[in-house]
Amino acid sequence: MPRTLWNGSLSFGLVNVPVSLTSAARDLDLHFRQLHKKDSAPIEQRRFCSKEDVEVDWEEVARGYELDNGKQVVLTDLELATVQPRKTRTIDIEAFVDTSEVDPIYFDHPWFLLPFGESEGTKRAYQLLVKVMESTERAALGRFVMRSKEYLVLVRPREGLLALTTLLFSDEVRPTGGIAPGGRKPTKKKVDPAVAVIEALATDWDPESYTDCYRQRLTRVVRDKKKGKTIKAPEEPKQPKPAPDLMEALEQTLAQMR
Amino acid sequence: MPKSIWNGTISFGLAQVPVKLYSATESKSVSFQEVHVSDGARIEHKRICSKDGREVPYKQVVKGYEVSENEFVVLDPDEIKAAAGARGKVIELEDFVPEGQIDPVFFEKTYYVGCRDDAEAYRVLMAALERTGRVGIGRFTFHNREYLVAVRALNGVLGLHTMRFHDEVVEAGDLDVDKPGKGPSKREVEMAGKLVESLHRKFDPDDYEDTYREAVLDLIKRKAKGEDLTPEEPEPEEEPADLTAALQASLGS
Repeated sequence: MPRTLWNGSLSFGLVNVPVSLTSAARDLDLHFRQLHKKDSAPIEQRRFCSKEDVEVDWEEVARGYELDNGKQVVLTDLELATVQPRKTRTIDIEAFVDTSEVDPIYFDHPWFLLPFGESEGTKRAYQLLVKVMESTERAALGRFVMRSKEYLVLVRPREGLLALTTLLFSDEVRPTGGIAPGGRKPTKKKVDPAVAVIEALATDWDPESYTDCYRQRLTRVVRDKKKGKTIKAPEEPKQPKPAPDLMEALEQTLAQMR
Repeated sequence: MPKSIWNGTISFGLAQVPVKLYSATESKSVSFQEVHVSDGARIEHKRICSKDGREVPYKQVVKGYEVSENEFVVLDPDEIKAAAGARGKVIELEDFVPEGQIDPVFFEKTYYVGCRDDAEAYRVLMAALERTGRVGIGRFTFHNREYLVAVRALNGVLGLHTMRFHDEVVEAGDLDVDKPGKGPSKREVEMAGKLVESLHRKFDPDDYEDTYREAVLDLIKRKAKGEDLTPEEPEPEEEPADLTAALQASLGS
């Protein structure tokens, strides 16, 4: 069973459902440890006070914030916890929206919300939320605080459970000004062959058809190195030569596909 | 104008679009420094060798992968680079899938795609994606690591999302969740449905501000003035009341 990151309640009108939060993403990356070259012993990151040069335990670490006048304010976790305490325990549902209206640019991290505790009432209230969102095809929007950060969240049914996606706030998405090239929209005649190429490569989204080749290659590199094989470094990648003419390239692609 | 973080080419078929990438998102959380609570001095992180207890200069640090307990295979940076793959500076869009088919769990991080030189190729690709309602799926090598990406038309620019692989996504079947002995009644689902509809609105991200961020900054100001910040008594935990009664009360009936 995966780790619980947060416990609290999901509140919908006057209905309160005790829930726990668990990640819906698995970290399958190969993680490297820092080692001391000389003796291959693992390196530990330890905290030291910059004034006294003595090691500091985690319990003695507080949060410092520098004001505009250069003065520093120190806050303990206990003091920080006095900010909007309800939000640290409760996800209040504020609105229901259509999931398709939320642009993927806002998606931060996927989670599952699970019913917390053994109470039959909790399980029923949880099931009610799954059912009602399945039947109305709406997703709930709420806010809560986890690890001293507020999140806007989208809660929706997924495979019979409640999925929660943390969202970015609108001011955390940068404006697009200056990104797009100016100029006129291309004519239909120019877009048609590009559309034809896209249609020729059109398929349904099938996540299982994509494997993480990077992870596979890195696993192989580790295995080969363990066996004492030499691993060749790749050449620096080169920028491809620009295609001579877009229209020609698209026509050629279509000719090859036929 | 933000600084670009990558220069390369998006290709589809034999057509090529020279592009630049920009970060599309940034965190606005209040960020703190770690300090020593007793004297307010900055905390420094030091690399200490677990065997001899001495500080290790960065030059003496190598990367190792733990193949079994305490057995490490050391890789040098070039060897790690060897896993990056041969795609180099090209994002080849191999498949085009309907935009609405991708579940939110797959999206990781978003970048904006700008154009380099050939503005026409950029505009043609964007117009074609808009017209078909599809997103291009390809692979992208960034900092010696390969990502699965989706390229789409996004608010008048091209956007690129890094994507999770299917085995990185946890499914409901991987979790062990009890179903209630007796599910909610039809009437309860109907009442809850009314409540959902009464709270239904169009999604507008500007309607939701991060008020916590402001409250933290306010707390900092109060502390600077020497105010005592005693935690409030926590409210008593609300017991889950009778479901039907709670729904009725929520609907005001």
